[in-house]
Amino acid sequence: MTDTIVELSHVTKRFGDFTAVRDLSFALKRGSILGFLGPNGAGKTTTLRMMLGILPPDEGTIRVLGKSIGEVRARIGYLPEERGLYKRMRADAAIAYLATLKGMKRADALARARQMLDGFGLGDFKRVRIEGLSKGMAQKVQVLSAVVHDPEFVILDEPFSGLDPVNQSELEAFIRDLAAQGKTILFSTHTMQHAERLCDRLIVLAKGAKVFEGTLDEARGLLPRRARLAADTDLGFLASVPGVAQIAPPAPGQPLWTVDLKEGDDGRALLAACFERKTPLTHFDVSPPSLHDVFVSLVGAHHTGAPAQSEAA
Amino acid sequence: MNRAFLIARQEFIKYVTRRGFFISILMFPLWIVVVTLIPQWTAGSDSPRIFTIVDNTGGTWREAILTAIARDNESRDLAALAHYAGGFADVSKLPPATASMLAHPDTQASRRLFEKAGGLDAVRAQLQPHLKPGAPPFTVPMPRYVYAAPPPDLARSPDAKTIAAALARESGPFEIDAVVVVPSGFGPSAPQADFWSTTPRGNLRGFVDDALSNALRLAAVRAIAPNVSDRELLTDGADLESRNPAHTDGSSGAFDQGVPIALAIILFVVSVMNSSVLLQGVVEEKSTRMIEVLLSCATPREITTGKLVGVIAVALTTLLIWGLALLAMMALASHETAALVFSSLRAAATLQTVPLLLVFFLCGLLIYGSLFLAIGSMANSLADAQSLLGPSMLILMLPNLMIAGVMANPNGPLATGLSWVPIYTPFFMMLRISSHPPVWQLWGTTILALVTTALMIIWTGRVFANNVLTTERPPALGVLVGRLFRRRGA
Repeated sequence: MTDTIVELSHVTKRFGDFTAVRDLSFALKRGSILGFLGPNGAGKTTTLRMMLGILPPDEGTIRVLGKSIGEVRARIGYLPEERGLYKRMRADAAIAYLATLKGMKRADALARARQMLDGFGLGDFKRVRIEGLSKGMAQKVQVLSAVVHDPEFVILDEPFSGLDPVNQSELEAFIRDLAAQGKTILFSTHTMQHAERLCDRLIVLAKGAKVFEGTLDEARGLLPRRARLAADTDLGFLASVPGVAQIAPPAPGQPLWTVDLKEGDDGRALLAACFERKTPLTHFDVSPPSLHDVFVSLVGAHHTGAPAQSEAA
Repeated sequence: MNRAFLIARQEFIKYVTRRGFFISILMFPLWIVVVTLIPQWTAGSDSPRIFTIVDNTGGTWREAILTAIARDNESRDLAALAHYAGGFADVSKLPPATASMLAHPDTQASRRLFEKAGGLDAVRAQLQPHLKPGAPPFTVPMPRYVYAAPPPDLARSPDAKTIAAALARESGPFEIDAVVVVPSGFGPSAPQADFWSTTPRGNLRGFVDDALSNALRLAAVRAIAPNVSDRELLTDGADLESRNPAHTDGSSGAFDQGVPIALAIILFVVSVMNSSVLLQGVVEEKSTRMIEVLLSCATPREITTGKLVGVIAVALTTLLIWGLALLAMMALASHETAALVFSSLRAAATLQTVPLLLVFFLCGLLIYGSLFLAIGSMANSLADAQSLLGPSMLILMLPNLMIAGVMANPNGPLATGLSWVPIYTPFFMMLRISSHPPVWQLWGTTILALVTTALMIIWTGRVFANNVLTTERPPALGVLVGRLFRRRGA
């Protein structure tokens, strides 16, 4: 059993003159949850489609589960960004049909589909046509279709898109459950909170190129820490304190000053400076940067809006 | 291949459970019934043509026309009686001559025998003891043409005004359809008469023309052979019976041309009907992104193969149902009609031709299906598909416009030439197959149809793989043709 689930090596994909993915390389270890981040048009969906064998790369190689994609198609689960099921099929039959295409026997697939629908609270709707389900229910059916055949590797393209907060929480729990079963999960998103809560590792794409790969802590380490202070007097004097990169006064109606610290600084010098000036503080905290800040910082320089292209990349 | 089969199965279930499938299945036989039966029903319920004759010669020619009407009525009586006997009498118990007369009522010999036997009442009397229990009473057919005496004004002065008044139904109790005016000098040397009518219904003019022409010939013959009776001269004629060696039962094969035409039209109807559904299905899968899910499970070739096999299964199911509908219709049709249809089917579908018919049918279906599938994969919406489908349909419909020309001489240069146009080969060879085209043409066109089908499937696979995920405008024609010859690693 190979330990590397996916390995992309110098993969490039072009659509005419437009390069959707540029010299992309990464590897994904078994049992991990990888967050695939990037703004619209960054090349996320194109990369996922190449990993599924839907699109061939123009350059580079892709190995999934140690083999070419055609040999392991049945061991991969896929949830596309835009949900698609046959509207006139019944929920259990829709799930079972995709499971049979992934190699399951029809009777087993149908039994498993009904069992999963029961588990997801959709037992009463298993004989309802997809067109008769609510959007949330149809999305759950689609999620179940992606994993009904018990895949080793699950690719989820924007899985939280269009879900209400309750369904988002349920899906998060489901993804954690899949990971607990030892499945390897790759999901794309541009909602940073989900990535922060779920991912072991992150890859950030911008304009088709990888701009970051690492853990959440490594991502946060890319930006300096930030201190937030409140006092009844002006704190502008803190700008001259060693270790301070930048200071911003409170926004109108807000009490907190924001101080960006230089790399490696922990903010103790700020407290010392306030003590020396006998300035009492009503609030003080130092926190690492959010993934949102890191993301904006990483892609901000590259991102100028989604390019006009034929693929929803 | 297992995935292709699963996709085919799903496509089959998807299409045959749609309401549209049942509607289309019912529509075609209903259309056939309407097209064939309505003219018969309207013919049966048509009112007689009432006309009048102003014979200014004294009445000789009016009598000739009235004699022709009497003979026409006699023929119709015999035909109706034969039809009645076929359905409700035990004909085997009739005297052989009478049975033969009723079996072939259209021949001159039968008509002579009918007259000799005493006409309608006499033959009905012969038939009466042999009627089956519960037989309905015989209905004497309505005459096609009825003579009415001319209104006095018209008889006195047959000019444009009185004729117009008669035709406008202002001058008498009858609805007069036509006025025949025979001038005083009418005869072999001056054969001009007038036929006035504002409603040229039926074939009354032709009937009157024939009656007067026969009367003129009769007058000419009587001048040189005064001993020959009028009846004899008017009834004598050749009985040219149609025969076809392919019909071992000796039947004429009246529907022999109809069977291949029906097969070719069914190929077209079934292909276009099912391929349109295939096209709509692909456009729908593209718009709902279901196609992306399918592509994550199977290769483009497995998907296209599955879809085409699914369409074949739907088409064969359609044919099976229509075949059963035909059997049901034959059970309702007269014994003679059913015998003629089955005889022609047997002649067209022999052990030698059935495999070829099947090959051409499947090739035609796959060629049309591939084309529609390719169009569907290039279109982003049904509106897009329509813009591509329009020109394609014009090309595909062309063979239907050539049926008459091809069937006029099924082995002539036009038919042979069209048979070698690759996308038309299946259609025209189905039309020609019962006309015994040369063996080299059969082999050649079979190979051509198979190669064309294979190339179309390969091309469709490439077009599908290249376009099914894009939201771009459909590619230019040159690009599409290029894909037929360029390999692509999708």
